[in-house]
Amino acid sequence: MSQSLAKECNELKERYDTCFLKWYSEKYLRGTGTEQNNECSQLFKQYSSCLQVALKERGIDKLLDEAREELKDSDSTYMSKKKS
Amino acid sequence: MVLTHTTNHTYSHPFPTVTLAFFLRYCSPQLNPFSQHVMSTDTLSSHVDLVTGRLHTTRIHLKKSRMPPAIMKMLPTSITGGATTEKASYILETSVVDMKEGWMSTESRNLNFAGVLSVVEKQIYTIPKNTNDNGNTTDVATTVVFRSRFGERIRDKLGHLHTHEAEQEKGGFFSRLGAHGMQRSIESLASKKTQDQLGKSREGMKLILERLRQSGIMGVLELRKMARERNMEKA
Repeated sequence: MSQSLAKECNELKERYDTCFLKWYSEKYLRGTGTEQNNECSQLFKQYSSCLQVALKERGIDKLLDEAREELKDSDSTYMSKKKS
Repeated sequence: MVLTHTTNHTYSHPFPTVTLAFFLRYCSPQLNPFSQHVMSTDTLSSHVDLVTGRLHTTRIHLKKSRMPPAIMKMLPTSITGGATTEKASYILETSVVDMKEGWMSTESRNLNFAGVLSVVEKQIYTIPKNTNDNGNTTDVATTVVFRSRFGERIRDKLGHLHTHEAEQEKGGFFSRLGAHGMQRSIESLASKKTQDQLGKSREGMKLILERLRQSGIMGVLELRKMARERNMEKA
């Protein structure tokens, strides 16, 4: 993937991304990917804890909260359409 | 004020490969030259729903100049904060993949400048029905909604009780008519720019899809690693 928004998380991000793409193509796409057998969970935790700090520092966490509020509304309308 | 733009397209690649290409589309500017404007990509969350088996993923991208310069120039510095040189925008991307039912839905929206212009792009990828292509093609329907809330935001947030105050605040800079004209201009400028970009983003997807066809996921991961190491040597 391209870089992380926080340089200090690049290495952790790289490891997680590689793991995710392998898991996705070799397990999820073949119908055997579940939350339990996701070998990337541990890598994600490490990457995520690095990223959360960076998001706070840059004030992006607040932007995300605002967007999530709006998403809740559009999600419900979209998913109900999908079922038809 | 809302402007909507809808397009349909068919990729000549199987559905699973197209969903993989979606996650890979910003993987490296060497592999996808149409992603040069993407400065960073991060995963905020990713999980498989225990009941439905759907994969839910949220990512955040930092992209250069999402806001057209023409729009930046129209805005008073009190809104842009004089940030005309900092032309980068955070994009929140959410996606849901359902392999059993054979669809993927995605949504991207800008996080900053949303009060001036919100651009929400929704895509739905599906396996075409009633065709004899043996599952080798994928349909995608794209809808982009442009909404300028320029001058409306404060009123929306406070509700009707405070309408009067909001009017006053707004009236300081633009009359009601002025704000509406502004919204229309912002939306149509953005729409024009986005139509160009949709073509490019499709070209980028096609490049990634071709790479996947030629060398598979392991080949793409290898290419990406090599490109990354070359970059680190340069730096």
